[in-house]
Amino acid sequence: MALLERSAWYDIARDTNWTPKYVDADELFPPDQSDPYGIPVSEWEKFDEPYKVSYREYVSVQREKDAGAYSVKAALARSSYYEDADPAYLSMLKLHYGAIALSEYAACQSDARMTRFSKAPGMRNMATFGMLDELRHGQIQLYFPHQLVSLDRQFDWAHQAHHSKNWAAIAGRHALDDVMMTRDAVTTSIMLNFAFETGLTNIQMIGLSADAANMGDYTFSNLITSIQSDEARHAQIGTPVLEIMVKNGRKAEAQQAVDIAFWRIHRIFAILTGIPMDYWIPLEKRDRSFKEYMTEFVGEQFERQLLDLGLERPWYWDIFLEDVGVHHHCQAAATWAWRNTLWWNPTGNVGPRERAWLEEKYPGWNDTFGMYWDVMIENIRAGHPEKSEAIGMPAMCNMCQIPISNKGGTVWEARAHQLEHEGRLYSFCSTVCKWIFELEPDRYKTFNTIADRMYNGEISPNTPENILQYMGAGVISQGGRDAHDLAWVKAYDEVEAPRTPIAGT
Amino acid sequence: MSPLAVIGRLENDAHTRIIDVDTDFTMDEVVDACLAPAVGYQARHPKPGAKLRVRLTTDSDDAEPFPRSMTVADAKLRHFQQIDIYVSDE
Repeated sequence: MALLERSAWYDIARDTNWTPKYVDADELFPPDQSDPYGIPVSEWEKFDEPYKVSYREYVSVQREKDAGAYSVKAALARSSYYEDADPAYLSMLKLHYGAIALSEYAACQSDARMTRFSKAPGMRNMATFGMLDELRHGQIQLYFPHQLVSLDRQFDWAHQAHHSKNWAAIAGRHALDDVMMTRDAVTTSIMLNFAFETGLTNIQMIGLSADAANMGDYTFSNLITSIQSDEARHAQIGTPVLEIMVKNGRKAEAQQAVDIAFWRIHRIFAILTGIPMDYWIPLEKRDRSFKEYMTEFVGEQFERQLLDLGLERPWYWDIFLEDVGVHHHCQAAATWAWRNTLWWNPTGNVGPRERAWLEEKYPGWNDTFGMYWDVMIENIRAGHPEKSEAIGMPAMCNMCQIPISNKGGTVWEARAHQLEHEGRLYSFCSTVCKWIFELEPDRYKTFNTIADRMYNGEISPNTPENILQYMGAGVISQGGRDAHDLAWVKAYDEVEAPRTPIAGT
Repeated sequence: MSPLAVIGRLENDAHTRIIDVDTDFTMDEVVDACLAPAVGYQARHPKPGAKLRVRLTTDSDDAEPFPRSMTVADAKLRHFQQIDIYVSDE
């Protein structure tokens, strides 16, 4: 029997809007879930998928992708790659799986919201496939690390992190809940499909895939590439949504949604991606710096997409471009100093050669972030490695839930941006996080950072041991330690003595 | 006297830190509390030998320092209020 070409039936098949008779339109599509912007349904019916696929085609392609990823894994299973891998590289995997695997299930629910509540039949169709994509991503990224739990229990955080109260998991959940879980279908699509997936997922997926291949981990590289091919498809849901918003006089609202989500996810991804790229991957295996990736994939490509859609660069674009060279350096030092709070083992890995590379890629690194490492390295070289571990707590941002840090040294740019709301002082890492809070304080005001929980009785008494236990360190697995057991510090023995003595100690 | 946590911003440090103080602490004692977890761990004293001062953090970094003997209570510092610990010419 002859089959019709897809183009002959596609538009009819997904023309699934109808006129409800038993409920009114707002009951079927509640505005706060579907479209708070009041755009006529006739406009939503113009939504045209940039990438068309039938269910039959989808299943066939996805089966091939899964078969490819699992067969590479099976083929390499007998190698001892992971047993012999660089411990810092394994930390990259632990961080990735802990942060991402269960987030994919959250993304599945976001797509489910679009599937159910969008007024655009084409969007519902694409989101259905997106929902199935994310389900696959969750399953595959739980299955792969599960095989490694017997090698290292820290891999169990792939399953556990999102259910824990670890500060890094809280930071991830706070951002993802805001962007993916708590908005209407239209805003979710702008924030997730466009700002997050179009704007920033490339850096995570393409960058990590390249680094994994350079490290010889073809299992992970293949897995990530497989996932990214799905992301590249369903991320396109956001583009027609934005076109409809702009055409119908909702550019300002669309712009605001982009601006909020792009910043929120950038702050998380810079840690997830920037630190491994610039610190953990061995020098000779590095593809390029985080800043170079961000400049190409975000600074140029995403900026062009924004402008093509009639939107503007986020108002904080200059702050963002500066942050690309600052935030992850601050957090590389902070996470290493507070490494006992982590579910992975970070490496310091800032020997003389690495510092030269960092200085070349980030001029001024030694005089700002390097000064921080100087003190810790000098302590280790003086026989006091215990003093390379931080004591006390950093202040935490009431928006991104990340330590409030910035350049140290004589430029001294570290500061909390504070505001008072209903009698409570809130602290933010940046004017952008503060701006997001000010837009909608009721959305954010009751959430407590891990530091707040130390003082409101939730962690009581707030001893270091109790804080670590609260965060799951020593419960789910042991907390982090230096991945190389400080071996990288020995490189300083081969060069001149420390540049300056520890002063004021 | 009662415990209080402030956010300490030590000159040249890359982090802002939560510092446990007491309402009876003088500003000199606040300085010591802020230096304790930072200097010698990840930060250096901004000017070894110099006595540091405390001021409220402002956008223009030009608030007057609190008198060294003033207490936290008298300065009316609040929970998680941010203060600078810095080198002053005064």
